[in-house]
Amino acid sequence: MTARPAGPAGNTLAAHRSVADGPGATETVALVDLLDRVLARGVVVTGEVTLSVADVDLVHISLRALISSVRPDLFGEQP
Amino acid sequence: MTGGGLPERVAVDSPSPERGLAGLVLTIVELLRQLMERQALRRLEYGDLSDDQVERLGSTLMMLEQQMTELREHFGLTAEDLNLDLGPLGPLLPRD
Repeated sequence: MTARPAGPAGNTLAAHRSVADGPGATETVALVDLLDRVLARGVVVTGEVTLSVADVDLVHISLRALISSVRPDLFGEQP
Repeated sequence: MTGGGLPERVAVDSPSPERGLAGLVLTIVELLRQLMERQALRRLEYGDLSDDQVERLGSTLMMLEQQMTELREHFGLTAEDLNLDLGPLGPLLPRD
């Protein structure tokens, strides 16, 4: 466990500690906490959209997105 | 929510300020702000940030929290006004 940073700035960050990491801390989990955990694992979002008029395909959009927390050991140092 | 019935409707056309456009926008902003706070905590715990980065991160997040409070008060909204009840998905934000 890393040292908690001194001063009031560190308290804002430390306040979430029990909510985000406590095992079964609350009965109903807020969606924002679920999103936080999903981002920590990483998620791939894929989508395929074809826009057509009168059965004629005109525009095709193919989407593949990786959304995750920044982990310097996985993706390299970010500024 | 009572058992077995249809979920309550959200009256977006009612005059109550809780369901106004400002409330909706602030809800999205608050969701992102809280999400970023949690993500910042994870990065902090990873342990690769300099003391200067940690300080800047913490004080910026603190400022954002203060700005959100000011925005809410400007529109006469409480923190709970921004917390959407998503039914079976639970609340959007923690109910502290």
